[in-house]
Amino acid sequence: MNRRTPFRWLRRAVPCHVAAERLQEYLDGELDSLSARRVKRHLRMCRRCGLEHEVYAEIKQYLGHRSGTPDPAALDRLRAFGRELVEHGSSDAASG
Amino acid sequence: MLRDAAALVRPPNHGMWNCGRRVPSLMPIVQPLRPTADAARFGELVGPEIEVLLRVARTLTRNGAEAEDLVQDTLLRAYRGMGGFDGRHPRAWVLTILRNTHINRNRRQRPELLRDPDRTMAELTDTGDRDSDVEHLVIDLTFDAVVEDALLRLPEASRRVVELIDVDGLSYAETAEALGIPVGTVMSRINRARQRIRDHLAGAGLAPRSTI
Repeated sequence: MNRRTPFRWLRRAVPCHVAAERLQEYLDGELDSLSARRVKRHLRMCRRCGLEHEVYAEIKQYLGHRSGTPDPAALDRLRAFGRELVEHGSSDAASG
Repeated sequence: MLRDAAALVRPPNHGMWNCGRRVPSLMPIVQPLRPTADAARFGELVGPEIEVLLRVARTLTRNGAEAEDLVQDTLLRAYRGMGGFDGRHPRAWVLTILRNTHINRNRRQRPELLRDPDRTMAELTDTGDRDSDVEHLVIDLTFDAVVEDALLRLPEASRRVVELIDVDGLSYAETAEALGIPVGTVMSRINRARQRIRDHLAGAGLAPRSTI
């Protein structure tokens, strides 16, 4: 039996200071999949860092919900403006 | 206020003076937009980004009417520049145009805003004893109210980064494009800003003190 086997998952994780450094990137989905897995593994096994992650995740969640959709009337006007640009070019082509 | 798109792209009559004689123009003539596949590409590539543009413009200007004007100018510039665009990463491309347009508008209106935002942040974050007073005031408020309060107390440059990433849902690279700053600066600003929000929560007793 390989005595190192039970600790393999520990070696694949990252230490606290690395997890702390990369926590914001992890939250924002900016890490590559391997790094994200390593940070995630650390957050699961380290209560202190896991708690830190929860606090930041709650902050991010609140800010995400804060998002108000843009003024629908303004959006409609701008989309119409964009269509007008496209159509104007098309009609110019037809005549020219 | 929205202007008529056809009027905006119509070439001016530079060759005709009031006297009625046709004279050679000394001004560069604005070429009429050509009909082309570029127009279709504009609709296909830029059209879907209008909502993101409006969100980002609102964050940059903090004013609905100004944001709408800014997006309109951006669309017009994007349309005119479509011929030179290779079609890759349209969101990054239009965000760059939006940012440049915003800078040009600000430069015309408020030249004093060209200060280094990081320096401004350092000055504004030095709140001293005020923080402890604030902590006492907000201790009874809810989590959301404390986060909101902390957000409003962030320096403008940091708040924009937080809003672009968390509220408008941009990536770090897109935020860097929108603000014309390096991705590393985006990362440091988001880290510092969230740390300040988190400290604010800890000060209000709504989060444990950071130990890492």
